[in-house]
Amino acid sequence: MVIIPSLEVREMSAHIRNFCIIAHVDHGKSTLADRLLQLTGTISDRNMTEQVLDSMDLEREKGVTIKASAVRMMYTAKDGQTYELNLIDTPGHVDFNYEVSRALAACEGALLVVDATQGIEAQTLANLYLALESDLTIIPVINKIDLVSARPDEVAEELENLLGIPAHQILRISAKEGINVDQVLEAIVQYVPPPRGDIQSPLRALIFDSHYDSYKGVVAYVRVVEGVVKPSDMLRLMSTGVDVKPIEIGYFAPELKPTDHLEAGDVGYIATGLKTVRECRVGDTITHSQRPADEPLPGYQHAKPMVFAGIYPTEGEDYPNLRDALEKLQLNDASLVFEPETSQALNFGFRCGFLGLFHMEIIQERLEREYDLDIVVTAPSVEYEVVMRSGEVIRIDSPAQLPDEGLIEEIREPWMLLQIFSPTEFYGAIMDLVTKRRGIFKDQEYPATNRVQLNFEIPLSEIIVDFFDELKSRTRGFASMDYHFLDYRPGNLVKLEVLVNGEPVDALATIVHREEAYHKGQALVSKLKELIPRQLFDVAIQASASGRVISRANVKALRKDVLAKCYGGDITRKKKLLEKQKKGKKRMKMVGMVEIPQDAFFAVLRLREE
Amino acid sequence: MIPVSIYIHIPFCVHRCAYCDFNTYAGMEKWIPSYVDALCKEITLVGNAAPQMFPVHTIFFGGGTPSFIPAIFIQKILTAIRSQFLILEEAEITLEANPGSVEPELLETLRLAGVNRLSIGMQSAVQEELSLLTRTHTPDDVKQSIRFARQAGFENINLDLMFGIPGQTMDTWKYSLDFALSLDPEHLSLYCLTVEEGTPLHQWVEKGKTIMPSEDETAEMYEFSMDYLAEFGFLQYEISNWAKPGKNGEWQMCRHNLQYWNYLPYLGFGAGAHGFFENIRTENVRAIPKYIHQINHLIAQAFPTSPANDRVLKLDFQEQMKEYMMVGLRLTHNGVQLEDFYSRFGVSLLEIFKKEINFLLSRDLIEWCNNQRNLRLTRKGKLLGNQVFIHFV
Repeated sequence: MVIIPSLEVREMSAHIRNFCIIAHVDHGKSTLADRLLQLTGTISDRNMTEQVLDSMDLEREKGVTIKASAVRMMYTAKDGQTYELNLIDTPGHVDFNYEVSRALAACEGALLVVDATQGIEAQTLANLYLALESDLTIIPVINKIDLVSARPDEVAEELENLLGIPAHQILRISAKEGINVDQVLEAIVQYVPPPRGDIQSPLRALIFDSHYDSYKGVVAYVRVVEGVVKPSDMLRLMSTGVDVKPIEIGYFAPELKPTDHLEAGDVGYIATGLKTVRECRVGDTITHSQRPADEPLPGYQHAKPMVFAGIYPTEGEDYPNLRDALEKLQLNDASLVFEPETSQALNFGFRCGFLGLFHMEIIQERLEREYDLDIVVTAPSVEYEVVMRSGEVIRIDSPAQLPDEGLIEEIREPWMLLQIFSPTEFYGAIMDLVTKRRGIFKDQEYPATNRVQLNFEIPLSEIIVDFFDELKSRTRGFASMDYHFLDYRPGNLVKLEVLVNGEPVDALATIVHREEAYHKGQALVSKLKELIPRQLFDVAIQASASGRVISRANVKALRKDVLAKCYGGDITRKKKLLEKQKKGKKRMKMVGMVEIPQDAFFAVLRLREE
Repeated sequence: MIPVSIYIHIPFCVHRCAYCDFNTYAGMEKWIPSYVDALCKEITLVGNAAPQMFPVHTIFFGGGTPSFIPAIFIQKILTAIRSQFLILEEAEITLEANPGSVEPELLETLRLAGVNRLSIGMQSAVQEELSLLTRTHTPDDVKQSIRFARQAGFENINLDLMFGIPGQTMDTWKYSLDFALSLDPEHLSLYCLTVEEGTPLHQWVEKGKTIMPSEDETAEMYEFSMDYLAEFGFLQYEISNWAKPGKNGEWQMCRHNLQYWNYLPYLGFGAGAHGFFENIRTENVRAIPKYIHQINHLIAQAFPTSPANDRVLKLDFQEQMKEYMMVGLRLTHNGVQLEDFYSRFGVSLLEIFKKEINFLLSRDLIEWCNNQRNLRLTRKGKLLGNQVFIHFV
């Protein structure tokens, strides 16, 4: 079918601007988005709940955007013409780099928001480089100029050095107070190029996000790059070859609004009716089944989990609920993977793969909060490559899977390129932190005055636990970081095991560097001694590596636990206290005869605190 | 017919002690007359609703400080009870008293009114410890009150003592025990001080102003007491209670408390009082004005409920069996009797709680006694009672 576009449609694309906002966490991206929505009348002031684009509570609390979203705004510019501005929101965290890159690929321009007090940060740069890779026009915006501590002149200078845009031309706004936000809209119209793309060509639409809807199936968020799509078309997902008949197509107003077509340059959605987001991956290209494009759009990647952990229900009977909850989360989150796993200590649960530690935290919190599950999450692990004496190479993502030491030739672990951005005064503190964690210093840059970017290579396993918190505390919150996968490298690694009354607790095992085994074993044992409550008998805690006990401690048997008085025959109160105690006991995990509280399973995570 | 017990709550104190979270009030003296009126009315209302005149074999005046209110009111209450219940001749009538609040006159009046047992809140013989607990009496007051009590004709006296007081040592604890023993009481109650939420003591501990003794320290004090009191001829018949043999050779246990532990019926009158009759637990409203108001304005439901009830709880069969175990196992000498369980519930204790019993036996927390007819706590079990009781909630 050949589509002959009307003149009106052709004119429209000159009046479309597709843009995104990139910023470091907390620099005010969501607030700016809210103001733009208000100013264009997309959302009435009355319906304005703060930060519309971050629809999940958790995001609002953490002040970051987890899922990208998109919205169409109509704006009448000073030139008297009305423009369609499509704002594509991007996830604000390093774990979601790939999603960010796809969202950027759907735009022609980006607002680079920088906090007037904080200045340029690691993610400002990381996102800026991603945006430049996607050939976006960058409009720098200095936000939060209303703050007393704002130093817009300095920040403007930093940006001039970085982008070559004269400092005096850089917009200075306060999204919160609504100062100069109208200038942002004008700048978008003026500087962001209208989308180009031949509407006569075969359809190519880029999926930059999706969500699951129980009625419409997976709703793919798309940027039509070439061609036109209508609700009646048979469509094909190019990476999987799956053909679908869309249930609906439309745009974001910001709620879903059905329309009769989307064409080259448009941003909108296609409700696919598909049952899982796995069949409709971010980065994939949608084309017509009848007249498919020759090539998919470039840049598609299968997002790979980097961090793994076991998630177990505290109470065995919650296993099916946990599985349901993970399945539901996966509907909206293609990067979450899980498979059943059995632990001696924790019984039945799931081995889950995450994009990073932050992603893992989000999943954990959502399971607890939205699904009201009591769960135990084991210490996170990376994926190791184990070269066996036999020459075979196996991949493991849990210490429990590590074969007997005698059979192993070599263990390889993933290494990352780590970029830390910070005021120069913390140079020493950062160097110290990273080198303690086996990081190797590569080089440094000074992208702005008093600002340094340090580049390291570091094993991923060293940064998934506590690293970011530690970095923040050492730099009083000023440093920021970004990381990317480099390669696998051999390491002198051993399995550190914990035995409770002689029984190894698989969920407490970790893979550590041989030189650190002794210290970590000791720290772990003393932490566990604090956390494991006194029981009816003595409990021996041991740490061992390579078959040798490194450290041991004893939790003495409980001596006294009895309620003295039952006043005036008040049995009910006594019973309540005992019920509470019993409940607490139930929440613990039985390992052999020993009751271990959930906290103990996080002990591995907190080793570095002391 | 099984005789019932009656608990009377007197929620007035001259001052509230720092550790106390009982239902009691200081500075509410002006309410005493109307409270006693309401109390008598409650006794009458509930007594009238009873299907028959129940025999009563124990009465316990608890508080608060029952010795704080004029003796004439105690007399009045006992008269009200007598008009509705059949107080047995040998009935035990106990009243809690504070050392320092007992004058010879008061004690004589009480004795004449029928009170035959006194429970005196001695707590400690060490002035510093009493001060920390914000008790207003001195060790000498204790001595004097016992002398007055004996003079008034009281032949059954209990002393309440406390261990686990901040700053207490094994030496001072032994000193307090010796002090108490020298006064030759028939009965001793030793309670471990617990920090209750909402009390000043709780705040002090939270703020780090006061440091509570460790689990090991209180365990040692408790174990010492068990051995020491045995040497003086006391029988530990309950986790916190010890008795000496009387003239007739019988242990002078607190029969009122035994009623609780033997899972037998008791009626509770007064603000915040608890009752238990057949399968029904009752709990009265706690506040004094509210209690008086409800008694005077609400209408009683069926026996054993009262217009003052805040909550009425019906226990099912399972709950009753569990509660029976939970309270019965507090009796450290007799424990629970298999035959009694069977005659109460028509099922075998060993069948119903097979898993729990086997587990507790294997952990050395309970043991057989009385020729395999009773189960009771072991010495270890006495220290770890909660670890036993949680199997029955």
